[in-house]
Amino acid sequence: MRRSTRLSRVGLHATMLVLVAWSVLPFLWTFQTSIKFTRDVAAKKPVLWGYETTANAYRAFWLDEDDINMWSVLVYILAVAAICLILGQIGKRVRHSWPWFSAAVGVIFVALWRFPRIWEVNDEYDFLINSIVVTVLTMLISLSIGLLAGYGLARYTGISGAVILIVALGFRALPRTAFVLPYFFGAKEIDDWLASSGVGSWDFPFIDFPGIDTLQILDTRLAIVLALVAVNQPFTIWMFRSFFMEVPKEIEEAAMMDGATRLQAFRRVIIPMMWPAIIATGLFTMLLAYNEYLFVRVLAPTEWTLPVAIVSLTGGESSRTITEAAAASVSITLPIVVVIILFQKHLVKGLGAGAVKG
Amino acid sequence: MDPTGVAGLCRRGVKMSTVTLDKITKIYPNGFQAITELSLTLEEGEFLVLVGPSGCGKSTALRMIAGLEDISSGDLYVGDRWLNDVQPKDRDIAMVFQSYALYPQMTVAENIGFPLKLRKISRRERQEQVWQAAEILELTEQLEKKPAQLSGGQRQRVAMGRAIVRRPALFLMDEPLSNLDAKLRVQMRADIAGIQRELGVTTFYVTHDQVEAMTMGDRVAVIKDGILQQAAAPEALYDNPDNVFVAAFIGSPSMNLYEATLSEVDGHYQLQLGDQSLAVPEQILASRPALRDYLDQPVVVGIRPEDLEDAAVASDHPNDQRLDAEVAVREALGAETLVHFSIAAPSVDSGDPDALDELGDEDVSRCTARFSAATRTRVGDRIRVNVSTEKLHFFDRRTHLAIRT
Repeated sequence: MRRSTRLSRVGLHATMLVLVAWSVLPFLWTFQTSIKFTRDVAAKKPVLWGYETTANAYRAFWLDEDDINMWSVLVYILAVAAICLILGQIGKRVRHSWPWFSAAVGVIFVALWRFPRIWEVNDEYDFLINSIVVTVLTMLISLSIGLLAGYGLARYTGISGAVILIVALGFRALPRTAFVLPYFFGAKEIDDWLASSGVGSWDFPFIDFPGIDTLQILDTRLAIVLALVAVNQPFTIWMFRSFFMEVPKEIEEAAMMDGATRLQAFRRVIIPMMWPAIIATGLFTMLLAYNEYLFVRVLAPTEWTLPVAIVSLTGGESSRTITEAAAASVSITLPIVVVIILFQKHLVKGLGAGAVKG
Repeated sequence: MDPTGVAGLCRRGVKMSTVTLDKITKIYPNGFQAITELSLTLEEGEFLVLVGPSGCGKSTALRMIAGLEDISSGDLYVGDRWLNDVQPKDRDIAMVFQSYALYPQMTVAENIGFPLKLRKISRRERQEQVWQAAEILELTEQLEKKPAQLSGGQRQRVAMGRAIVRRPALFLMDEPLSNLDAKLRVQMRADIAGIQRELGVTTFYVTHDQVEAMTMGDRVAVIKDGILQQAAAPEALYDNPDNVFVAAFIGSPSMNLYEATLSEVDGHYQLQLGDQSLAVPEQILASRPALRDYLDQPVVVGIRPEDLEDAAVASDHPNDQRLDAEVAVREALGAETLVHFSIAAPSVDSGDPDALDELGDEDVSRCTARFSAATRTRVGDRIRVNVSTEKLHFFDRRTHLAIRT
């Protein structure tokens, strides 16, 4: 008995080790490539140990000057991360946490805004901003719609609710490629109408959009956000619906007996119970928006986000740019890794069943 | 429980209101009629228990009063206010749910204070009132804990606290004790009844447990299949049940019910119960003249278990008011001993869906007797059983209504 359990434990650990290596090794390889000199990368026999390291690839991808000390950039990034972490930790411990969390978000904003003023940056920096804007907007819109729709569909059990859910599932099941051209042509039609009718080039009184001369949809961040929200909506609705199904109806009823309107019951009692679900769904939405390639490529010929930028700028498999491509991949993955590490506790809670039962 | 705290709550002034249900009916969209013309009036400060077997519509009735279900027809008044179309939040009614329905992300203090917060009562005042409610319910130690950290009994008290802190016009309680273990239930039963009496708030309490109903209610309303069977004080309900269902439902162990025939032999009355007969005293018929119409016809006769006694213990009982029996099961409870035996008479279905069906032969029914602890009977003994015939209950065989006049 003892022998067999020990054996099976060894087997289990060995299997896990293989699986972890299987998923982590490609990333390690990419990271290694990003800090090597081209000659080591291009060597016929892979150089795994004892190579000279360099931040040249990162410098070349992000910055426009050649003689910048990458250590100062790293210190800048680490300092920002440390400040955000401290503010977040304080926020967790105090009663009114929102000022602290907003301060952390503010620090990120200021850091992103100051960065190109301290160092001269490449175009890729604009694409990072695009990525952030697209991701945050997609998350906000998707989650808001998903919360309301999921709640409604969880509580309403009529036939039309079932129809909506099935249609949403079908929409989700269709391949992404099926939507991209209709979206493109739809947006193009609207743009053509805006241009031909002159609406697109109206001068709106009082409203002045900086950097925008003509109103259009194609090749804007808005186009990407709208398309991503549309394809992601079935997922958020289904996720939230299943979480809301677990909230006992009596809790809302108790809130209403206590003197709350339906909306108050939703906002003050149900939503606070849903945080694990919101975080889990939000993270998945974030991954979708941040990693999207196809939609961005088609709907925004120049307003790229990072995945498209990497492929287009570092292009091909020539050994000259392969270190740069690796550096780009590592640097766009790291923010996601950080976010997931920060929220992994909630992620597990949100995905586990019964998270909201008292 | 702390009575001085209750006094504090009372001083703040409690609204007392009568509650009137006038022919309230609930029909679901699928045509199912859950409640049929329920009419009840609760006096100011009265504790009314609505009791019935599972699925009888009692929770639906409660939810209609709460405003969580629409009233299909009929009128609901609290005081002078007609409440049919009033939103739950505006009804000034507090409710304790079976599952407690506490807000898991809030502390106990926040849970209890939530109704006050919604009424925009200042923080100071809120804290004071929460503290008072917590003192009554002995929750002052738990105020900063989350519901998940509490025991079942404590959660139940938090749910109570959320109701009493508002001083509502009416309390609704939906089987609040059914998730507690037996011992705690007995204690909470007394506590809830005590708090209600002190606060004097009219209370409408729903349960399927007839013991809770009998011990807690000023008045008990028995309901079956959405139709009110009888509403009366617990003692009246027990002594004078209106029909077979109420007779069988109230009391534990429940009343033994058989088909029997009453006949007159040589100027004496006797009850033929299967192959045995019992002498029936004259006064039974004197007080129930209607019973004469049933002579030589089958009627339903009911015998409460405590109206049966081991003849060996009480030997001065008249011999012609005894039954022969063979003990099948004996349950010694200490203060008393329950003895089960069978009687060769057809049993009567009281219509309680929760009751066990009679097993085996149709003409043999089980009988439960509550003997004093002095009995020496053992399983397999053939014994004589005294029947207090003056306490027999009689019902019409077809309508199941009591024959009392």
